[in-house]
Amino acid sequence: MLELLPPLNDHNLPWMDTIHPIVVHFVIAMALVAFLFDVVGVVWRKPALFEVSFWNLLFATGAIFVAIIFGQVEAGLAAPYGAARNILDIHTTIGWSLAGVLSLFTAWRYVLRNRDPEVLPLSFLGVGSLVSGLIMVQVVLGDRLIWTYGLHTVKVVSAMREGLI
Amino acid sequence: MDCITTPLLALAYTPEQAPLEQIAAELGANGLPYSLPIHPNLVHLTIGLFVIAIAFDVVGALYPLEKRVFRFLALPITRGGFHDVGWYNMLVCCLVSFFTVAAGFYEMLTAVPLPGVTSTFGLGGMTTMLWHGVVGVLVLAIIVAMTVWRGFQRYAWRRDMGRQVQWLYLAVGVVMFAVIGLHGTLGAQLAAEFGVHIAADQLLQAGADLHTALP
Repeated sequence: MLELLPPLNDHNLPWMDTIHPIVVHFVIAMALVAFLFDVVGVVWRKPALFEVSFWNLLFATGAIFVAIIFGQVEAGLAAPYGAARNILDIHTTIGWSLAGVLSLFTAWRYVLRNRDPEVLPLSFLGVGSLVSGLIMVQVVLGDRLIWTYGLHTVKVVSAMREGLI
Repeated sequence: MDCITTPLLALAYTPEQAPLEQIAAELGANGLPYSLPIHPNLVHLTIGLFVIAIAFDVVGALYPLEKRVFRFLALPITRGGFHDVGWYNMLVCCLVSFFTVAAGFYEMLTAVPLPGVTSTFGLGGMTTMLWHGVVGVLVLAIIVAMTVWRGFQRYAWRRDMGRQVQWLYLAVGVVMFAVIGLHGTLGAQLAAEFGVHIAADQLLQAGADLHTALP
C-alpha cells in the first residue's frame, strides 16, 4: 500500500505536515460544543440551541471518519517507540469505537429531532456527557503521542532514521 | 497590633522569587510545569468553531439554491437554524479564543525552539514564534470584531431578513480561513520542526537516550 503514496519527507509523511490533528479540530470542537449547547439549551430553556447542537454533532460525526482515514495512514508511518506503541494502539481502538459511538449517538439525535426538535430528554444529556468524556480521554492520548513522544516531528524522525530510537 | 500585621504583609507582598523563576524551578522535560500543553488543545475549539460558524452562514446565505437539494433528503432544515449555528458558534469561538491566546502567551514564556533549525517557510525559531504571537493577537482582535459585527447583523441591521449575514462578512470569513490556515501552520511548525514543548524533541536535543528517558 505504501508505495502508492508520494515519497516521505523529514516528517516521515507523504504530505507537508500531519493532517489528522487538523481534521480532529472539527470532531473535538463540534462534539464538545454540541454538548455545551444541549446543556445550556436545557438549563436556560432555549430550544433554538438544540438545532445548533444537532448540526454540530452531525458535522463531528462526518469529520471523525475523515480523521480516522488520515489517522490510520499517519499512524502507519509514525514508527512509535516505547510506551507510545501502547498509547497508539489504545488511541486507534478508541478512535474507531468513537466513530461507532458518535454515529449511533447522532442517529438517536436525528430521531429525537424528527419527533420534536424542541424537546431533549435528560438521558440524551447523560449519554452526551459520557461521549464528551470519551472524546477528552482520546484527546489526552493523542496529545501524549505528539507532545510527549513527538511522533512525526523532524527531530524524532531523524533520530529514528539514525537508529537512535 | 503592628508587630503582628507587618510580618503577614511582608509574607503576602514580597515573594521570595519572581513568578518566572518559580515557574522555571518546576519545568519538566517538555519545558512546561505540567505534562501536556494547553494552547494546542484550546486551538481545536477556536479553529473548529470559527470555520463551522462561517461555513453554516454560507449555507444559510445560499439557502435558496440548496433547499431543492435538501428536499430529497429526509432531513428537515430551516434557514434560521443554519444562521443560528453561524452566530452561536462564532460567539463561543470569540469567548474561548481569549483563553487560547492567554494560554499561548503563557506557554511562549517557557518555549525553547531547537537551535539551528530553519522551518519550511525559511524562518528561524524565534522569528516563527514572534509571528505566531503577534498574528495570534491580531486574529483574536478580528474574531472579536467579527462577532460584534455578526451580532449587529443578527439583532439589528438584518433582523427581519432571511439572509442574516452580509456577503462582505462571509468574504472576510473566507479570507480568515486562509489567514488562520497559515497561522496554524506556523504553530504546527513550532511543534513539529522546532520541537517547542515536545518532551521527546527536547530530550534528544539534550543528548538523552529515549530508550531510558521515555521508556
